[in-house]
Amino acid sequence: MSSRNRIILIVVGAIAVGIIARLIFPMGSPVVTVRADDLPGLPNFTNSFMVLLVVDLILILLAFFATRNMQLVPRGLQNAMELVIESMFNFFCSINKKWTPAAFPVLATIFLMVILSNWAGMLPGFGSIGFCTHEEHSSQGALAINLKDPYLGLLPVQFPLAAEEGKSKYLGCEPGEHLLELFRAPTADLNLTLALALVAFVTVEYFGFRALGLGYLGKFFNFKGGPISIIVGLFEFISEIARIPAFMFRLFGNVFAGEVLLIVMIFLLPIALPLPFYLFEVFVGFMQAFIFSVLTIAFIGLATEHHGDDHSHAEGAHH
Amino acid sequence: MEALGLNLPKLIYQIINFLMLMIILYALLYKRILAMLAERQQRIEQSLKDAEQVKLQLANAKRDYDAEIAKARQEAASIVAQAQERAKSQEVEILAQARRDADRVREEARVSTLQERDTLLREAKDQIAQLITLTASQVLGAELKASGHDTLIAESLSALDRRN
Repeated sequence: MSSRNRIILIVVGAIAVGIIARLIFPMGSPVVTVRADDLPGLPNFTNSFMVLLVVDLILILLAFFATRNMQLVPRGLQNAMELVIESMFNFFCSINKKWTPAAFPVLATIFLMVILSNWAGMLPGFGSIGFCTHEEHSSQGALAINLKDPYLGLLPVQFPLAAEEGKSKYLGCEPGEHLLELFRAPTADLNLTLALALVAFVTVEYFGFRALGLGYLGKFFNFKGGPISIIVGLFEFISEIARIPAFMFRLFGNVFAGEVLLIVMIFLLPIALPLPFYLFEVFVGFMQAFIFSVLTIAFIGLATEHHGDDHSHAEGAHH
Repeated sequence: MEALGLNLPKLIYQIINFLMLMIILYALLYKRILAMLAERQQRIEQSLKDAEQVKLQLANAKRDYDAEIAKARQEAASIVAQAQERAKSQEVEILAQARRDADRVREEARVSTLQERDTLLREAKDQIAQLITLTASQVLGAELKASGHDTLIAESLSALDRRN
């Protein structure tokens, strides 16, 4: 059998197994909520925050074990962490060499936290393990997206092992019940993305003031150059503030959309079909962490430039 | 905002969490690893400097060595030239001495030969004189007088000398 035929056979077999599994284990319509849920009995302690604490713990343990017994010639975990830290540092330096050493803790922490949080959302159990609750989503104020179940409508097959009297025919929650997820990707929670956006914003402004002093405000409130400068300053100010929601929703949107995509693919065909999307989400998870940290250092670079730089450059070019 | 899950206490928790994580990672990870990288970089630079210095020292040593070798070769050539010159002068001297010795030996040999010849001649003359005397006495049957005897010997020897 040629390798091409073998691949086709594997794919067809996987799809068949997926369809059979889908028929044996009928799922209720997947519910996707935008907000992270509070864990039962723990007000203001969300499932995403719990995962974030686990991510923190993993990072701290990695840091501890990597630097516990540092050697001049690195080995094992120390070597791996040095590779990560050095690569990040050199890359940020290639964007802005002057301010990278000072801003590196913020940039690196954003990158490490975001990438691990993004990837954590792809672990088994995320979005599938939780508590079935009869609470109405609307009463919690959550947005819910109900997807129509194509198989349940077409083939109402009962779960055979639970077909006894008094037991649910569903492996998961009953229709109408809401699955309160136990685990949720931290970056699929707007509180975290907003917190990171605020941290990035404050960092940028801090370096702006540190480099230019109060003259930094001249970027936004320039009354010397006439009405045009005032309008330009206003636009600068709006674009500066707009970075916060841009940061927040870019990260949240990508991660949340990735989760929705995976849930839909798993719902349609649990086996084989989600695999390429998982790989895609690994890439997206890395890219979002990369973009967040790179934009932060790029904005620091913009904030620390002198206001008259463009003019002087333009004049220099003219001469 | 509530519909999106945004909530001030949760936001504050997240910010505090981030700041705490950043501080811990800075103390545990970034500071140590960046310090280690800087130290390694410094050591590499120092090693490169040392290597450069060693290379320089090696080049100097090689230059000194070459200079010493050249000097030694020059000295050796000078010594050889002097030795050759001395050998040549000694050769001339030895040859001259040998020639002188040879001449002296030849002269001594010549003188010795002449003396030998004279001695032999003298002895031959004496023997011839005796033979003449004997032969004459036997031929004449009578003994000559003493004067006649000497005269005869003298005449015979003169005749021999003329013949030689």
